[in-house]
Amino acid sequence: MNKTIKLANDRVLIRVQNLSFSYGHVRAVKDISMDVAKNSVTALIGPSGCGKTTFLRCFNRMHDLYPGNCYEGKILMGGRNLLGKDVDITELRAGIGMVFQKPTPFPMSVFDNIAYGLKLKGIRNQTELSHRVESALKHAALWDEVKDRLKSGASGLSGGQQQRLVIARALAVEPKVILFDEPTSALDPISTSKIEELIFRLKEEITVIIVTHNMQQAARISDYTAFMYVGELIEFNETDVIFTNPDVKLTEEYITGRFG
Amino acid sequence: MSKQNLTDYKDTLFRVITFGAAMVVLVVIVGIFVSLVEQSLPAIRKFGFFHFITTPIWDPVHEVFGAASSLYGTIVTTVLAMAIAIPVSIGIAIFMTELCPNFLKGAMGTAIELLAAIPSIIYGMWGLFTLAPIMGNTVEPFLQHTIGKIPYLGSLFSGTPLGIDILTASTVLSIMIIPFMASIARDTFMLTPQVLRESAYGIGATRWEVIRNVVLPYSKGGVFGGMVIAMGRALGETMAVAFVLGNKHQIAHSLLDASATITVTLANEFTEADSNMYMASLFYLALILFVMSFLTLAAAKFILKERSAP
Amino acid sequence: MNILTKRKIQNKMALSLSVLAAAIGLFWLFFILWDIFRHGMSFITMDLFTKDPMPPGFKGGGLRNAFVGQMLITLVAMVIGIPFGILGGTFLSEYGRHSRLGRFISTLSDIMVSVPSIVIGTFVYAIMVRPIGHFNGWAGGVALAIIMIPVVIRTTEDMMSLVPWSLREAAFALGAPYYKVITQVVYRGAATGIFTGILLSIARVAGETAPLLFTSFNNSFFTTNLNESTPSLTVTIFQYAMGPYDDWHGMAWAAALVITVAILLVTVAGRLLIKWRYRN
Repeated sequence: MNKTIKLANDRVLIRVQNLSFSYGHVRAVKDISMDVAKNSVTALIGPSGCGKTTFLRCFNRMHDLYPGNCYEGKILMGGRNLLGKDVDITELRAGIGMVFQKPTPFPMSVFDNIAYGLKLKGIRNQTELSHRVESALKHAALWDEVKDRLKSGASGLSGGQQQRLVIARALAVEPKVILFDEPTSALDPISTSKIEELIFRLKEEITVIIVTHNMQQAARISDYTAFMYVGELIEFNETDVIFTNPDVKLTEEYITGRFG
Repeated sequence: MSKQNLTDYKDTLFRVITFGAAMVVLVVIVGIFVSLVEQSLPAIRKFGFFHFITTPIWDPVHEVFGAASSLYGTIVTTVLAMAIAIPVSIGIAIFMTELCPNFLKGAMGTAIELLAAIPSIIYGMWGLFTLAPIMGNTVEPFLQHTIGKIPYLGSLFSGTPLGIDILTASTVLSIMIIPFMASIARDTFMLTPQVLRESAYGIGATRWEVIRNVVLPYSKGGVFGGMVIAMGRALGETMAVAFVLGNKHQIAHSLLDASATITVTLANEFTEADSNMYMASLFYLALILFVMSFLTLAAAKFILKERSAP
Repeated sequence: MNILTKRKIQNKMALSLSVLAAAIGLFWLFFILWDIFRHGMSFITMDLFTKDPMPPGFKGGGLRNAFVGQMLITLVAMVIGIPFGILGGTFLSEYGRHSRLGRFISTLSDIMVSVPSIVIGTFVYAIMVRPIGHFNGWAGGVALAIIMIPVVIRTTEDMMSLVPWSLREAAFALGAPYYKVITQVVYRGAATGIFTGILLSIARVAGETAPLLFTSFNNSFFTTNLNESTPSLTVTIFQYAMGPYDDWHGMAWAAALVITVAILLVTVAGRLLIKWRYRN
């Protein structure tokens, strides 16, 4: 028995309606309906292979890069279906940032990494660029650590710094949403807590959807939690409810560590 | 002898045998260098080094020999072939890694590798019988009537278009190195982590922007190293150019003139050299070619090693 | 113009150029293959394989001498090149795997693979033809062997390195000495890979022309005596294609077709073998 709550219309930024996704013949996401609240952190949890990453990658249509993808249903944002044929994917992705498991600094300097998305948007003015790079780095709490090495290669930074650099890069283009795909699973505990703090602060301005296999992390930083199992959304509710008083037995078993 | 000693003895013997076999490579390289120096000594003594490489005269009758014309031909054909092959092979590699639908990927990869296996003499012969007439009758007159009219640049296309010339030789050479270069570039492009590409797509880059700003910078060391290896090969390629270059010892100013490379000179004249000085000069050319390509290839290895080092 | 539209146009243009480059590249390459088949097929006859060449200007004849000579020279190259290559590769992957010298020789072999083959021809001329005073088939075989050795060394090294170290340790644990571990365990694990490497190296040397020009030279008569100049398909192609007779040109096309088909078959076989062996 699945159990999901509906959010009030004025709080909803993204509304997922009966979304299914398949690669070839494999149906990885099955008929999910779920609301994502504006300026909140929504966590997707579930055992490995439950389809949470596949689900996350539907929001910026990363699957479109590979053949054999097939979406059904709708992801509505501001009244527009993101999965529609008329949607410009390049534009869509520019408005929805993504951060991956492993840090992905581009083979260029720290400065150019952050400025990259801005340059794509057509911003060429050096003063504006440096201003916005600085503000993005400050935002990601990285400015003090890298301000003296903006021109050196980004690969010289530590793993945690690289991950914050990637977050700053996503922030620089001022997206409405940022998708995080297990952003701390490759990091040490100190870097992890820095990133968690950062994500927690981010929701003042943007909306965050985060996939995590770390339940404590979901409990610490998210406002809403969705529990998925074999491609289905089992339960969706406020994080407190999910972790203290879940409705579905499967959720409870997962939360308490009886499987997964 | 105890059983243990016998075993140790056999192991040492095997080690020594394999060591000896590996040393053959070193022995051959040193052997090539020493014997080429030895054989070219008369020419080295008579013409020196700088004088030899700057003298454009190659006159077997009066026994005056200089490497300038052959060196010039070698360098010009190589550079021109690289200029044609680099963009084409990078284009092929981009197509194969970033654009090509999956079902075509394997087929194209196989085709490219098979074409790299075709011996150079086949390319050369095809160049002589098929490409040279096309170049002489169609392509070169066309170039003369178009680019040939432009001042300065036009002089590159002056003369009678016969199809046996630098342009045709460079074209054959480029066609021959394209498969090799394309497969190196493809292998290097494929080393770019997919997640890096995805994160560039993730901030809204177009496919070309991902290639230009992420894939190419990420693989530039490997691609550059591969291109240098290809250049080392092109410098020493014989049969692909021997048929269509004309073996004429001159510093040609037009791409439509016949020329000679070191390899073509060797291929055509080595068995005909009738005097000691002639022979020694040919060996001298071989020595220069050996050192040139060895250094180029060693540089390429160095570049690739630097890149793979953490 | 909207910046996004501009970027999209740029994208389309760049990608079209890349498709064009791929098309140009493949066009030339298929053009060559097709040309060789088209011209070569019409000159493939039984006589080509069973008869020796006629004197210049006379019709008919074949290239039996060149086929046999090519095989003999290649055989000599294999007899020398394969053992040296495998044993040398063994040293690089086993005894010398951590030594400076081992890595140095490995790098040198990589360089040797691409060193101009005509230079190897001049070298063998200097040590095996000039001292004797005449061209001979042995010299051709040695020249090809010198090209073959680094190729076999490097593939052997790579293939043996792919055999997991734990397999060696398991054999050591049974008390086997290193040479037995190598010959009985590592060779067995790497056999298909080494065999493929050998196949590809044979394909490589069978198409070489430049190193034979002044070693085995050419001979328009049938011979199995490698002490005299020995004909080969590749040198015959060079001579016939550059010659004045249409008959010769036809034979050159036919020989080119035979060589191309043989090399492509061996290459495909090698690739299939590797795919089959390392599919996991």
